[in-house]
Amino acid sequence: MSEITLTINGKTCAGHQGDSILHIAQANGITIPNLCAHEAVARYGACGMCVVEVAGNPKLVRSCSIDAADGMVIQTNTARTLQARKIAMELLMSDHEGDCVAPCSLSCPAGTDCQGYVKQIALGDDRKAVEIIKQKLPLPASIGRVCPHPCEKDCRRQYAEQAVSIAMLKQFAADNDLASAEPYRAALAAPTGKTVGVIGGGPGGLTAAYFLALAGHSVTIYDAMPKMGGMLRYGIPEYRLPKKVLDSEIAAIAAMGVTMKNDVKIGKDVAFDDLRKAHDATLVAIGAWKSSAIGCVGEELPGVLGGIDFLRAVALGGKPDIGKRVAVVGGGNTAMDACRTAVRLGAEEVYVVYRRTRNEMPAEDVEITEAMEEGVTFKFLTNPAEIIGKDGRAAAVKLQVMELGEPDASGRRSPVPVKDKFEYLDVDTVIGAIGQKVSPIGFEEIALNSRGIIAADEHTYRTSLEGVFAVGDATNKGASIAIEAIGEANRAAGVIDSYLKGAMAAFAEPFVSERAVTDAVKAMIAEKPKAARATMPQRAPEARKHDFAEINLGLAEEVARAEAKRCLECGCHDYHDCKLIECANLQEIHPERVAGEKHEGYVEQALGCIERNQNKCILCNLCVRTCDEVAGKAILGLVGRGFKTVIRPEFHDPAVIADCANCHKCADACPTGALKILK
Amino acid sequence: MKIVIGEGSCGIAAGAAKVYSALQSRITAQDEITLGVTGCIGMCYLEPIVDLYYEDGKLAHRLVRVSPSDADAILDAVRAGDASGIEKLIITKADEGFLSQQTRIVLRHCGVIDPTSIDAYLVEDGYKAVEKVFATMTPEQVIEEIKVSGLAGRGGAGFPTWFKWNAARSAKGETKYLICNADEGDPGAFMDRAVIESDPHSLIEGMLIGAYAIGAHEAVVYVRAEYPLAIVRLEEAFRQARARGYIGKNILGSGFDCEFRIKAGAGAFVCGEETALIESLEGKRGMPRLKPPFPANCGYNQLPSNINNVETFANVAWIILNGGAAYAKMGTENSKGTKVFALTGKINRGGLVEIPMGKTLREVIFDIGGGIRDGKQFKAVQMGGPSGGCIPASLLDTVIDYKALGATGAIMGSGGMVVMDETTCMVGMARFFLDFTTKESCGKCVHCRLGTKRLFEILTRIVEGEGKPGDIALLEELCTTVKDAALCGLGQTAPNPVLTTIRYFRDEYEAHIAGRCPAGECNALVRYDIVEDKCKGCTACVRVCPVKAITGAIKQPHSIDQNLCIKCGSCLTACKFDAVVKA
Repeated sequence: MSEITLTINGKTCAGHQGDSILHIAQANGITIPNLCAHEAVARYGACGMCVVEVAGNPKLVRSCSIDAADGMVIQTNTARTLQARKIAMELLMSDHEGDCVAPCSLSCPAGTDCQGYVKQIALGDDRKAVEIIKQKLPLPASIGRVCPHPCEKDCRRQYAEQAVSIAMLKQFAADNDLASAEPYRAALAAPTGKTVGVIGGGPGGLTAAYFLALAGHSVTIYDAMPKMGGMLRYGIPEYRLPKKVLDSEIAAIAAMGVTMKNDVKIGKDVAFDDLRKAHDATLVAIGAWKSSAIGCVGEELPGVLGGIDFLRAVALGGKPDIGKRVAVVGGGNTAMDACRTAVRLGAEEVYVVYRRTRNEMPAEDVEITEAMEEGVTFKFLTNPAEIIGKDGRAAAVKLQVMELGEPDASGRRSPVPVKDKFEYLDVDTVIGAIGQKVSPIGFEEIALNSRGIIAADEHTYRTSLEGVFAVGDATNKGASIAIEAIGEANRAAGVIDSYLKGAMAAFAEPFVSERAVTDAVKAMIAEKPKAARATMPQRAPEARKHDFAEINLGLAEEVARAEAKRCLECGCHDYHDCKLIECANLQEIHPERVAGEKHEGYVEQALGCIERNQNKCILCNLCVRTCDEVAGKAILGLVGRGFKTVIRPEFHDPAVIADCANCHKCADACPTGALKILK
Repeated sequence: MKIVIGEGSCGIAAGAAKVYSALQSRITAQDEITLGVTGCIGMCYLEPIVDLYYEDGKLAHRLVRVSPSDADAILDAVRAGDASGIEKLIITKADEGFLSQQTRIVLRHCGVIDPTSIDAYLVEDGYKAVEKVFATMTPEQVIEEIKVSGLAGRGGAGFPTWFKWNAARSAKGETKYLICNADEGDPGAFMDRAVIESDPHSLIEGMLIGAYAIGAHEAVVYVRAEYPLAIVRLEEAFRQARARGYIGKNILGSGFDCEFRIKAGAGAFVCGEETALIESLEGKRGMPRLKPPFPANCGYNQLPSNINNVETFANVAWIILNGGAAYAKMGTENSKGTKVFALTGKINRGGLVEIPMGKTLREVIFDIGGGIRDGKQFKAVQMGGPSGGCIPASLLDTVIDYKALGATGAIMGSGGMVVMDETTCMVGMARFFLDFTTKESCGKCVHCRLGTKRLFEILTRIVEGEGKPGDIALLEELCTTVKDAALCGLGQTAPNPVLTTIRYFRDEYEAHIAGRCPAGECNALVRYDIVEDKCKGCTACVRVCPVKAITGAIKQPHSIDQNLCIKCGSCLTACKFDAVVKA
């Protein structure tokens, strides 16, 4: 074959007469997106992704199917070709029905690959499971214990009976890994010579340090408290998260070369500006450490404490004098931690004062149950109107009786005072656990938002200061759960890494296909064989309420393995190897603007060795062509016309189907997850 | 006297065969009357048509809209030699103008000769062109003559015929094929059917000359199966031509062999695209192939092939006999000869119109077509079927010429001309064509399969009153990209009706999105009301309303319950007092 030379994107490329433009481009290291092209089969030209412009040709040219000619001048990424590809992808994705990623992963604020690690746990490979978790979250043993697991909220197993207990499984795998001879450790990139200062050693700061260290940067964490861990250490009681678990996870991060400096208060021990100048980039992850005020008369009295202040005092080893009768105001997790800690400190009567009912409580349901088991009394539909002092100290709370009115902005029914109806509670201590505030003292140079919280860009986490980033409770919306801060920290670490390498790239949420959970989908799941959700073995309430030892005992191995097998594996088996989703992420696309009817989808296993999911099929016809041209069988064919075209075994003829050689070549050729090899 | 009845499919549909039977059963042995058939004269609106000829072959009278009950009167008149009893059937001067203003080359024998008789064709210089070619011309000379004529493909693309012939002739290979595309799929186009049904030998003769020119010894006519009469007539013509030595081995002693056959297509619009047609011919699913390679080099069975459509071939014998120069004398700078149009829609005189290129749309629609029916206003004409576009009243003086029509956003296409009046909703019209192309897309390429579907869905929501701001821009973006990136001509042209209606009637799109259909055609956007002052309480509307949406006592003003109304318009028609209004 004679040699030819062409110019692609200004680069001189050599090839042979008879080669397609696509072939020559790829051979010369130039990528042209494509879905339906394959060297093993004849040219086809259906997907329209590989279009290029050829000088002198007024039409777009499908590079997969056109012979290159000597002297051709080709551009692959013009406005016209990009537009053609964008529309092709929007159209394809508007007709593609499948879940790239399982709903649990999508619901996780840190985007952990729940399905991936649950699968490894089911297979018995806890180390591999931890490896998968640590791609997003470096503190799995701690977070597995404390996370309110938003992942489980969308778990589709709930339509069969109950969600998979993903958080417990995470704890199980992480505990096993920590206990193993050689716990998992990710490999570090070569040192970059850049340094990052992370202010705050809570879940956000630790996570950012982990990923920045992985990327080869030199990281120092500065924290105001005596030890690292932030709210995980000083806000979560020991009985929920033993600090030795947290210590070992922090130790693993320190072992990566992260320098940890405690008892450093910004603005006092070191000026923020000096610290900032000492590093190539700075991340502020200082959390929200100030208790919100209850907002009633008498709250300034001695004997009235803030929830997180109380928990911190206990965590620091103190034993606050709270007396025998304690009222905790609030309905969130901090309120539960406070009331149960009060029980453990020896209070005899512990009350939770909450202005709505149990249904509206933001705390985890299991926490409420456990608090009740430990003897806490819940005063629902009451709100402190006044803290009454006696001898200069809180002695009683006057409770306004409430009732539920119309739903408010959060959708919950709002509490309304019942006129002139009050109750009185004699107490020694009142603990206000109704929220946390940011105290950005020492960071005066950074611009705040209207709520007095550090303002950080949602895609770059950049603050108003050059080279200063911020994540977690101290930013934007304020306090939230640890996994939120962890997710932000992971993404911010990516941005900081790109910043340090000279080209800051904002975090962009990858495009994924999501299937609507219709009644039909729910009904289909409901037909699955039932398997009850595992329950966490616990110490009995009477035994546990007197000390701070961990109340959860961890899942037994056989229970954990069985639980992991309950996973329905909603996410596509092909996500990590899918050309379609790769193409969908080449540019920003909005398939919703061309949303419409979807083609007739169905899932069948007529071929025995292959599951064919026509919901995901993009009609590239590679399976049909491969079966015909490579396998020499011609079992599959196109049926119907236009939008209604689908791929089916020819004539649905059992004799034709029986001819299948189980070679899987069709599934290997499929550029997306429409064909799955059955084990 | 000879009585000839126009029996094209259209004439038969209008009742021509019944007229024939009625006449046949009444003609006795004593009558010196012969009864015959001819093809389609092209005056659809006057069918069935019966021609009375003198013995010398001169036309005595042309009778129109004839019904079987007219048989006795016709025979009486013929026997008596007195047409006074059938005067009401005789074509008017105005209607004669429909034909007299045309220049017929392609349709020269249509409605004139008996399509079932090769002798009838031979009398009209039939197969003389083939004889001339074999006797005096080399294939190269034939191609040169066609080049001189300026003949371009009449199927739609308008590609120079000589160029394709020359490419196929020059292609390497012993075996070559000549294929006739008779898969006439554009809604509203029927000239190819008329030619095959009315003058099949002229197609055969044109193809023979083409086969000789490119060196093909096998000729295939790909006819859609929806044209059964065309297939029957063509098969009969093959048989007769073979018997006379015009088909087969050593034709007319020239040493040139050529076999003919028919392939019936299964009714997919995309098979009118030449590469999809080839796939179908090979027994595969009708889906387009990528070009290049072009069929001239790699066509049917991967061998050199030439494809032209029926109308193109029907010009060839005339050009050979009269010379390419005579053909090129007609037309404009870049469009030579004549073109046949199928004039339909809201027009007074609909049918087949063959005119020299260069006439204006106004001449065709108003002079030949007699203008708009029922005294309504001309609004637009859709040229080129689903692949074409609409041309508004302001551009009626556009000349018929490939370039000039292309500049309007429409195309010459295969010659479909659908005329619309003020009651036609242009968004609805675009939607109608997209419905067609969406269903006829072969499903292969993404831009066409899904792009046309989404365009159709957006147009549907607009006519259903659910259009959104931004929809017009979205339509334009999708249309432009689908045109640019679709694999074949179907997808590349499918957006044309949308783009041209947006170009010329953007205000109608905007009105729909604002909740109003200016043409009053979109049910979701119109409402019927009764004007209290005008209503006499006659109950005529109440009685015709199929859903009992109208209430009111006798002699009291009525009213329409908008929740029940299905907008059928029966009340509007029934009201004698103009009390029902549509808005």
